[in-house]
Amino acid sequence: MHISEGVLSAPVLITGAALTATAVGFGLKKMDYDRIPQVAILSSVFFVASLIHIPIGPASTHLIMNGLTGLLLGLSAFPAILVGLILQAILFQFGGITTLGINTFNMAFPALICFYLFRNGIRHKNPVVISVCAFGSGFTAVFLSSIFVAASLIFSEESFINIAKLVVIAHLPVMIIEGIFTASCIGFLKKVRPEIIGG
Amino acid sequence: MKGEKQSNRLLVFCKISLNLIFVFLIIHISGSKASAHKVNIFAYIEGDTVFTESYFNDGRKCIDSKVEVFDNTGDKLLEGLTNKDGEFSFKSPGKIDLRLVLTAGMGHKAQYEIKADEFSDSEEEDKEHTSLQPLEEDRIDKRQKEGKQTGHNETLTVDMKQMQSMIEASLDKKLKPLLKLIAKSQQNRVSFSEVVGGIGYILGIMGIILYFKAKKDKNG
Repeated sequence: MHISEGVLSAPVLITGAALTATAVGFGLKKMDYDRIPQVAILSSVFFVASLIHIPIGPASTHLIMNGLTGLLLGLSAFPAILVGLILQAILFQFGGITTLGINTFNMAFPALICFYLFRNGIRHKNPVVISVCAFGSGFTAVFLSSIFVAASLIFSEESFINIAKLVVIAHLPVMIIEGIFTASCIGFLKKVRPEIIGG
Repeated sequence: MKGEKQSNRLLVFCKISLNLIFVFLIIHISGSKASAHKVNIFAYIEGDTVFTESYFNDGRKCIDSKVEVFDNTGDKLLEGLTNKDGEFSFKSPGKIDLRLVLTAGMGHKAQYEIKADEFSDSEEEDKEHTSLQPLEEDRIDKRQKEGKQTGHNETLTVDMKQMQSMIEASLDKKLKPLLKLIAKSQQNRVSFSEVVGGIGYILGIMGIILYFKAKKDKNG
């Protein structure tokens, strides 16, 4: 999911960086004092998740955890994911410094979409609805990220449909695992820390 | 009341961070290679052939991925696809700096540089020797004749040269696995200290933000 240095053209990189900068600005502004530790934890989760490699499927993939990050943080997912990606780029050479903007956008924007789609769902009283919505969030975030990555590669790969198919199929196991993981996380938080989820 | 709530939060936060580190430790120790999305290419030289190997960070080989070879001015010399073991080899175009670029799809790209001085000095001679191989006997005859004409020293130096190339050839063969190992170990692998360091950075950044926010709240 991390696009490497030197793959994308300048317009794509600049657009990604501009969108990310704007969203990170809003995210930081909206972040409450009380929620800063939560943002840091989820940033750490995101940072470590990409080290957990999934040995199923046709390509080399790993966990992303942007669904969970988005669901719990909303707009603050942008700064959280940006920090995680900066550290991954510096320490592990995943992605790259010039692609930080577009990579952050590709992972954080789906997180934000999932936040708006499923935030009411996880506040529902019925635990089944909560689980389904949390699963949906984990699944959809990775799916949308795959689509965004494919879209970013339009200018360097031959056709959008082919690359989109490739990325989505490669990440299908990740989508399912993240869905289950997000569902169990939300279920757990609902029990022990219901105020984090709200409702 | 608020203070109590905050210290409570801090406690939970510490617990969760500890859990995170613990989870990673388990993953690390359990031997499943905790690694991820990065593609690597490395190359080593044997005689006049450059061998490349490409793989993802988790050890999975890059199959049918494009490898392009550029010279130091950025001109593309050749390109090819990796086989099912992620390998691709080509005859070296001479003693020049080479840049190998691997494109593995889905936005993965990596490069590896070979400096001109990594090619063995006697490469040109090697080529000469191989091309002259069938004429070996003739050459020895000739050399013996030459030796008779010009004296003993010349024969000795020529023989030394031959010996040198032989030694180099067998060294190349013996060192191949070592070179491979060294080239591979030069690639970055994720280490535990880097992961803990990364989490530390995040906590540090959190501390800085908290500090400035707290100051603002006090002043405001």
